[in-house]
Amino acid sequence: MLYAAVAVILLAQWVNVSLPNTPRTPDGKPNLDAPAPRSSDGKPDLSGIWRVADGRYLQNIAVDLGEAPFQPWAAALFKERADALGKGRPSQHCIPHGIPDSMLVRNSPFKLVQTPAVVVVLYEEFNHYRQIFTDGRSFPAEMSSSWFGYSIGKWEGDVFVAETAGFNDKSWLDDPGRPHTDALRVTERFRRTNFGRMEMQITFDDPKAYTKPWSATIPFTLLPDTELIESICENERDHGHIVGK
Amino acid sequence: MTYSVLTLILLLQWANVPLPNIPRTSDGKPNLTAPVPKTTDGKPDLTGIWRNPDGGYLENIARGGVQVPFQPWAETLYKQRQETFSKDRPSGRCLPHGVPDAMLVPATPFKFIQTPIVTLILFENQGRYRQVFTDGRGFPNEMQPTWLGYSIGRWDGDTFVVETKGFNDQTWLDDGGHPHTDAYHAIERFHRRDFGHMDLEITIDDPKAYTRPWQVTIPFEFFPDMELMESVCENERDTPHMIGK
Repeated sequence: MLYAAVAVILLAQWVNVSLPNTPRTPDGKPNLDAPAPRSSDGKPDLSGIWRVADGRYLQNIAVDLGEAPFQPWAAALFKERADALGKGRPSQHCIPHGIPDSMLVRNSPFKLVQTPAVVVVLYEEFNHYRQIFTDGRSFPAEMSSSWFGYSIGKWEGDVFVAETAGFNDKSWLDDPGRPHTDALRVTERFRRTNFGRMEMQITFDDPKAYTKPWSATIPFTLLPDTELIESICENERDHGHIVGK
Repeated sequence: MTYSVLTLILLLQWANVPLPNIPRTSDGKPNLTAPVPKTTDGKPDLTGIWRNPDGGYLENIARGGVQVPFQPWAETLYKQRQETFSKDRPSGRCLPHGVPDAMLVPATPFKFIQTPIVTLILFENQGRYRQVFTDGRGFPNEMQPTWLGYSIGRWDGDTFVVETKGFNDQTWLDDGGHPHTDAYHAIERFHRRDFGHMDLEITIDDPKAYTRPWQVTIPFEFFPDMELMESVCENERDTPHMIGK
């Protein structure tokens, strides 16, 4: 018996909201080339709605390198998933994309809300969120493994550096299925280059799945004067006949 | 054929995180009767992790003798849901709890993060969030109906008043099954009494389902020195044999 799932996501039109604190050109349009804003403590303020500028990374997070430095079993697992066209990936069952691929879906932007104690990532996709703590805490002595891990942030000059550990081994790094294990540690380095652009360099350190740490540098653009829309993923359990096995 | 769903929510131990900015008694314990903290603009700061420790409100938001002014069809639907032990409630299928019941699940606290332009409500339950906008925007002219609605906040003295519209008709007000329609307009008044206690008075205004607006008041307790855990709801699609129809 087949219990196939169709993940239905309603894609609606983003609303137009004229947001305060948006630098504008004389014709009133958002000036995406204006300097990056600063928070009251002088750090760059990453707050805003962001969207990946290059859809290729969702399809291949290792595109900068050509290919990831797989351990043999990880290469075999990836080939199996890629040969099946990514079928069975968690997001098809309404369970999360992980890190970084939750941020790589072009149809689903995300919002950063930066406060002194925490930077919150609100994903439009599935209405999920992630917290990056900046209140001085360190990683818990024991971390239960989770989809988004446990994230601690710090500033290095104008770069916001988030370290994440405590992952489960279930999320995929991208849609075709580059895998990771529970040994994964991720370092994300966010740099807002001006009002409208941000770059994230992400380094994957997972010695169980890869022979050495490797990185990607991913560009994002600000989505001005709008708001996230709610996007709840529903397993349409009665549509087994729509998809094949 | 029965497609029963077993909703697996892993309830794990909350991490102990000694947080800064928590008033303490001489023995180092959080002082939950200390005064309400204030933000730099002098407003009460609702930031923190909260929960309603009493599962009674989740079962029946109108507990304690509140007269619910049902429209006849809504009363019939409520009785039907009661008679079937709420087996069709959305959260049983990993779909969202709504307003207010996402805040009423005792096993899963929620976090307020208050900033000048938005207050975030992060729910541990299903890892979902709400945004309450305080940047001066009004409601969009056209709102796509959503599970958690579109929320705008303002201060009325020391009370944070949140108006929410744009709901779909799919959430239930509580697990018992008090219904609402897409005409639902929620007015929540949050009042932090002291460091450790906050009350919510919610007005349910839905003329299609109820003959007049009605109110309930729900107490919350501060959950100190803790962090939300990840709680991803997974439809366990392959275990229909484990539960009956």
